[in-house]
Amino acid sequence: MTKRIPLIARDLKRLYTGFLLAAVALFLLCSYLTEFNPMVLVANGDAFWEFITEDFLPPALPPASRIPGIFSSVLVTLALAMSATTVAAILAFFVALFGSEKVSPFPRFAKVVRGFATFLRNIPALVWAFILFSSLGIGTGVGFVALCITSFAFMVRAFVETMEDVSQDCVESLQAVGATFPQRVAQAILPSCLSGFLSWFLYCVEVNIRASTIVGMVGGGGVGLTLFSYIKSFHYDIALSIILLIAAMVIVVDQITGKLRKELLK
Amino acid sequence: MEPILRFDNVSKHYPNGVHALKGVSFEVAEGEFISVIGPSGSGKSTLLRAINRLIPINGGTVWLDGQAVSAQRGTALRQLRRKVGMIFQNYNLVYSLSVLQNVLHGRLGYMGGLKGVFGLYSEEDKQEGLDLLKELGLEEFAYNRASDLSGGQKQRVGIARAIMQQPKLLLCDEPIASLDPSSAKTIMDLLKSMTQKRNIACIVNLHQLDVALKYSTRIIGLSKGEIVFDGRPEELDDATIERIYGTSRENLMIGGHGNDQADPAHCA
Repeated sequence: MTKRIPLIARDLKRLYTGFLLAAVALFLLCSYLTEFNPMVLVANGDAFWEFITEDFLPPALPPASRIPGIFSSVLVTLALAMSATTVAAILAFFVALFGSEKVSPFPRFAKVVRGFATFLRNIPALVWAFILFSSLGIGTGVGFVALCITSFAFMVRAFVETMEDVSQDCVESLQAVGATFPQRVAQAILPSCLSGFLSWFLYCVEVNIRASTIVGMVGGGGVGLTLFSYIKSFHYDIALSIILLIAAMVIVVDQITGKLRKELLK
Repeated sequence: MEPILRFDNVSKHYPNGVHALKGVSFEVAEGEFISVIGPSGSGKSTLLRAINRLIPINGGTVWLDGQAVSAQRGTALRQLRRKVGMIFQNYNLVYSLSVLQNVLHGRLGYMGGLKGVFGLYSEEDKQEGLDLLKELGLEEFAYNRASDLSGGQKQRVGIARAIMQQPKLLLCDEPIASLDPSSAKTIMDLLKSMTQKRNIACIVNLHQLDVALKYSTRIIGLSKGEIVFDGRPEELDDATIERIYGTSRENLMIGGHGNDQADPAHCA
């Protein structure tokens, strides 16, 4: 019998096999631990399907008197995302200056600044919202703070990386000229990084439109709260209309910011 | 006459253990045009950046215009730095700004903090910037973005920015390493003429031995962080070149006809 000629190195093949086995084992273990059973979905499929077809479909319009209120709640959500991102971006810019070893006048503290931002960022906006609602009560203002914290932390990281990518050489030249730290920031870092900063800002707006809907659902106001109130009162067909409205809003904003970002990075 | 620059037993070692400078001493007088030559890693860049403290040194003293550079902090350091113009291999311009804005950056060291932040340059400074650009043949590009220029043009903007500082000393870190031969010649000619006209001392790090021989009034040879040659170009003989680069002169000429050119002056 002739021996078959292998196509890839044997240890590589072993590695792939190992990975595959580990993935299957992990899936089985996790399914066991979470008591997730794909069969349940099939068995309960009828009820699920019935819920979709009977309760959700077709989407129904809310009473005419409520429509202006719903649209104004969409505007609240958009405004919440925009204002939170803007305030967060301005704060993040100043903090990010101290988060880059190469730019900061106190390079030893750069790690502390970045560590702080990472810590804040790794707590999701929803968790911040719950913490803040428990301590400050519900309302749009608190939703604003919750969104601000996470997008601030995210943008600090993103801005630091933008600055490290772009501006080392021109910062060195302005240092050689004898420029002060604020002069170096305004004359070298800001002009070279502005398009990068704006691009990250727009990305953050996109993310925050979705996040502000969810934060709204748990008490931050806006269209999220409207949606939640219809779900809680079993008006699922009206809720579906609002979900479609939210999807349309997110798509429109994504299109606009995506186009702007492409323009910026040209 | 008091020298512009004095290195007094200067040494620098990096945290990774590299000894970039080992007890380097020399003096620079007004109007000198000095080339620093040596293989990569011999400490040329460190030497240059030790002068304006872009890299802090570990031992010895750098005296610039009668002041010890390493003793200076904050405002005093910036006032010392503005006396020293610097030109970089990669030009180090702010490419999203106009050519004129880049030239005027040379004035930042002389301006109050906030005026510089907002770029409120005086009319005289702006006029001087435009005059300098004219002298360098770039007047029609004053309002172009710096990123639109070719390599040789960018380096001319770099020269204008450095001259704008009204420096006493000009440091050039591989100014022609990224340029084609013809732009390189333009840049070297400009460096020589602009500094001679204004009596600015000039220190140039160079990889090209022939360029160093042609333009310099004095050559410093560095090898492994030590000065192994300090003298006039015509004193640089083949044995010394071998000591600097650790290889014979023929091996330094890529064309491979080093033997035909025994007289250094011909290499230019």
